[in-house]
Amino acid sequence: MLAAVLVAAQFPAWMTSPRPMEVFRLRASHNDAVYSIPRLARDLNAVDVGHATAYEALVTGREGVLESQVWNQIVRTLKNPPRFKPDEKAIAPTFARLYGELELVFDWAHVLHAQTIDVLASNLSDAQKEAEIERLWHFYRSRAPYSISGLPLNMEFLDSRPYSGNFRIKYPKVNALFWGYHWLQAAMYDMLYRVPRDMWELSYDVVREQYFERELWDTNRDFMPMFAEQSPRFAARFPELANAFDNLHMLHDMVNDILADNSLDANQKRHEIRMAIWMVLDSTHANCESGEGEEKTLHDHRHMNGMAGMGMMVGSTPELMYMPRMGWMSMEECHHCSMFMPDNDMRWRRSTVSIDGWTMEVRCPLCARDMAAQYLGRAILRLPTEDPNKLLVLVGDELGNYTSTMKGVVFLEMEGEHPECNRWSYAFTSIEAFRKYVSENPQYKDARPYTLEQWSALAGKKPATYERKQGPVDNPYKNWHKGPAR
Amino acid sequence: MMTMFALILSVNLAMPAVMHEVPCQYCKLMVVQNTETQDNEVVLQFGNKRIEYRCVYCAIADSPRYSMDIIIYAPSEKVGEPVIILRKDGKWSTRSEKAVFINKFKEHAHCAELSRAFHTKEAFDAYVEKHKVEEPKALKLDELVAAILKPKDKQ
Repeated sequence: MLAAVLVAAQFPAWMTSPRPMEVFRLRASHNDAVYSIPRLARDLNAVDVGHATAYEALVTGREGVLESQVWNQIVRTLKNPPRFKPDEKAIAPTFARLYGELELVFDWAHVLHAQTIDVLASNLSDAQKEAEIERLWHFYRSRAPYSISGLPLNMEFLDSRPYSGNFRIKYPKVNALFWGYHWLQAAMYDMLYRVPRDMWELSYDVVREQYFERELWDTNRDFMPMFAEQSPRFAARFPELANAFDNLHMLHDMVNDILADNSLDANQKRHEIRMAIWMVLDSTHANCESGEGEEKTLHDHRHMNGMAGMGMMVGSTPELMYMPRMGWMSMEECHHCSMFMPDNDMRWRRSTVSIDGWTMEVRCPLCARDMAAQYLGRAILRLPTEDPNKLLVLVGDELGNYTSTMKGVVFLEMEGEHPECNRWSYAFTSIEAFRKYVSENPQYKDARPYTLEQWSALAGKKPATYERKQGPVDNPYKNWHKGPAR
Repeated sequence: MMTMFALILSVNLAMPAVMHEVPCQYCKLMVVQNTETQDNEVVLQFGNKRIEYRCVYCAIADSPRYSMDIIIYAPSEKVGEPVIILRKDGKWSTRSEKAVFINKFKEHAHCAELSRAFHTKEAFDAYVEKHKVEEPKALKLDELVAAILKPKDKQ
């Protein structure tokens, strides 16, 4: 089946066309709004330099110093990021000349990345931002033939090519940089999505610390960071974008692996890169539907239950996936108490906790706080309030004390059984909202309103409902790509 | 990563609840879960954080990473009644005056059963007899800390 699909692949005409076909970004007032978070903007500029510098080295005979001189050069840039967005073709002219069709795909998807972040970092209202992101997605898909599919693709399939794994094995330090960039590019979405403007910089303090202290250097990561693992709220609202960014990042991995494969000559590399592009193109999957498809094939468009923005992973079933650093997980259940999560029109009632490089969806503020308490480092908690349009964002210190810019926030915490936890653990924007809730729910009439400081110091009991998930093996990524052939 | 913080200790007599089955922060083996008849999870508390360890050795060996005051809840012979170890201003102490410890494991696969706390010497004796521990030695807290930490780590 696989061979038949690949042999039948007809590369689209644009791949070999000599006509210039670059498309300029959508004209919009929000363009470059990312500079309202200056450190993030500059760090993203450095990511562009890092990508291009590594690619140029790989195609100009400098692969022998990729892990030393080139790595040092990239790290210097990451630590001294440029003020303005660089022209990647000026940094990687040989790469752009050799693989112009790939540059088109990368650049166009990177424009989508940049413009969606601009929207989130703009002054638009939350509703306007959502509409604008929908418009950007439509613009991205409709204006160029080289857009990447927004369908979930099977990552195990894409990462099982003959060349797969070469790059991460031969160049682990530079691969860690790539996956670190992709971690940041995924984590920044939930850092901003529906988050009050005055929490952006505070949140980026935590994200940036994690990025520079661990994510860029982690050579033991099992797999590339997936978008929905880092930004589940955004991925649930915009699954097509989440999938497209994962498919883009997988294309980066595939290209890296091809370029690092010394058994391929120049023509073979070009062919394999075109094949890799073809596999992730929107046009290749034109008649396919999300949630459908034959298992472990190119057209396996199943996704994790509860998360349409996440394709099938190595060793996963729709019910269960292995999440690096966390183990086996269900994306339908609270990661703290194992109860089913609110869904559909009540999905906004989910909380998330980000710490130690991962983000998990949980069912209530208690679940978020107590889960974060078990891990070292600073956490970001994103908690719904009684108002669907007012998200409470808490940034923690290393002792687990939280701060927020939402004045007057109070908490209900009258601990009972976890099937009801999202009723007895609740955040409110004001004491008046707390009193209204208690008057409408007399079972909590004896509850006291906790201030943020008081609530931060509470600790719940171990949920009787908690169940550690067990997969078929301890870690499906163990020895992935480390077989005797390599 | 940790910065200097002063901490006013607030000690619970019962073991704080920790939820997820996680690898030990120190030895990276999975933390052995509590059962109805025996506590196994070691919890190190600072501020509002509650970090799980697989055994008393792991918690004390990892303690130099924390610059602030800490509390270690060490599972004992009594379910729900841990031996509470404090490190305040760099000085180690315990709430249980008669507490003794076993620290006899050779590899971490066995640390959870052979690095534990007891409220009394009698409980220690019963445990080592039941588990047929060779050459058992009941250590006082200061002996345990001295055996685990190098001199530069003790402060």
